[in-house]
Amino acid sequence: MLLIRNEKLRNAVRIAVPFFIIPTISILGALVFDGKRHILIALAVAVLSLVLFAAGFEKKSTGTRRMVIVAVMTALCFAGRFIPFLKPVAALTIITGLYLGGEAGFLVGSLSAVLSNFYFGQGPWTAFQMLAWGLIGLFACMLSKQLLGSRILLLLYGALAGLGYSFFMDIWTVLWYNEEFSIKLYAAALVSAIPYTVSYAVSNVLFLYLLAPPFGEKLRRIKVKYGV
Amino acid sequence: MRSFSEYNPIVIAVWFLSVTGIAMFCNYPLLMVISLVGAVAFFVMRNGLSHGKTHIFFWVLFLILALANPLVSHNGKTVLFVMNHNPVTLEATLYGLNSAAMIIGVLYWLRSFTQIMTSEKLLYITGALSPKLSLVLSMALRFVPLFGRQSAKINAAQTAMGLYRDDNIIDDIKGKSRVFSVMVTWALENGIITADSMEARGFGTGRRTQMRRFRFAAADIAFLLTELGLLGITCAAVGTKSLSFVFYPSITAKAPDMLGVLGLISYGLMILMPMILELVVNLKWKYLRSAV
Repeated sequence: MLLIRNEKLRNAVRIAVPFFIIPTISILGALVFDGKRHILIALAVAVLSLVLFAAGFEKKSTGTRRMVIVAVMTALCFAGRFIPFLKPVAALTIITGLYLGGEAGFLVGSLSAVLSNFYFGQGPWTAFQMLAWGLIGLFACMLSKQLLGSRILLLLYGALAGLGYSFFMDIWTVLWYNEEFSIKLYAAALVSAIPYTVSYAVSNVLFLYLLAPPFGEKLRRIKVKYGV
Repeated sequence: MRSFSEYNPIVIAVWFLSVTGIAMFCNYPLLMVISLVGAVAFFVMRNGLSHGKTHIFFWVLFLILALANPLVSHNGKTVLFVMNHNPVTLEATLYGLNSAAMIIGVLYWLRSFTQIMTSEKLLYITGALSPKLSLVLSMALRFVPLFGRQSAKINAAQTAMGLYRDDNIIDDIKGKSRVFSVMVTWALENGIITADSMEARGFGTGRRTQMRRFRFAAADIAFLLTELGLLGITCAAVGTKSLSFVFYPSITAKAPDMLGVLGLISYGLMILMPMILELVVNLKWKYLRSAV
């Protein structure tokens, strides 16, 4: 209605955002706000990258079947976030990225962040969570050849994704608390988040170990049977 | 006359974004106090005295956040005392208090936001932005209870077949993972059928519509314009450094000038807007009821 239904505007967004708006914001942020207000810039860049992705998704004529499968995986992630201590969201996102492609992976990761935050609480961190989980899915697709070839690499990727997610979210924590990025506070945040970091990494490895083969089988079957 | 939560979702979203945005990007202590007090008052006004756990969690977090800064950061001139060879300064303590007030205030606002912005309203907004994404979101929302019911059915069928016993833990896990596996296969197949059925009925050929339509009435426009006006004044005050407050190396507070005072007042008014609305609606409700 407003933004993405108009095709010209959509294309304009696709070109303007990565090549013009994001660099401008970053440079302006560095110059005008003299090192402060990093949070504003970080938030703007996160939201813009999500808008960029939405613009690309809206333009493509993604098959209805593929879209519904994405909705199914998102629902499973959402339900999985209610398991105490162990969170299968990233693992399911990785599996989706591996078998259904990067776009589907990004969508499952980012949409399950929005959806589950209706329960866990929405906030500016939603944008960062969306970006972090989405990127985990996207990178899984980029590395899919290696990851599908070796199970050890896949589990390693899961562990790294858990660490990366925690580190990424802690940048946001520090920026929110302090306006200016400070290494000391970042270190403190990382240390206080160790239990969470460990739980992310462990649950990624565990769920990838348990779910990757059967889930891959099912998704491959669906792909062969219906040509998604 | 409608209560605040019945207004157009766009109006509600803009109001929440501006209130929390200003609170997050300004560090003026008085503004933080206004935000925190307003947030708690708004939350209590909507929920009464329930949600005790939420309050306890937020205030414990407040203490932790306020104490974290002086223990980690040693900037500032006025040393209060020395702990483990590290000075604890007055400035860092006050900065921590200020940051904690900001974060807890925003958390209270967002808790109210999550209550007011139901998924249906957010789908209305994302539908305006990207109809396809909004569709995927709403389908996923619908799948969650569906999957729950389907697992119960599969579970019952497995029990009836004698395949499911939960008297020992290994059997229990095996049974549960079998149910999960069956459920996922069913969910994927069912999704394909849903997609085919959608396409057969002409999905993607016309404009998408929303389940619930939110009108943009005169009251919505009036609310939005008032809010944007107040936001403009506040932004001008925050942006032109009329409301600046320097903590390090030592606290230098200058009294806010004319624009700064105006900014504080308009921020306060902006926060009061929905509360006044709610109060008037409640009074009207009471008055009408007693008249009947």
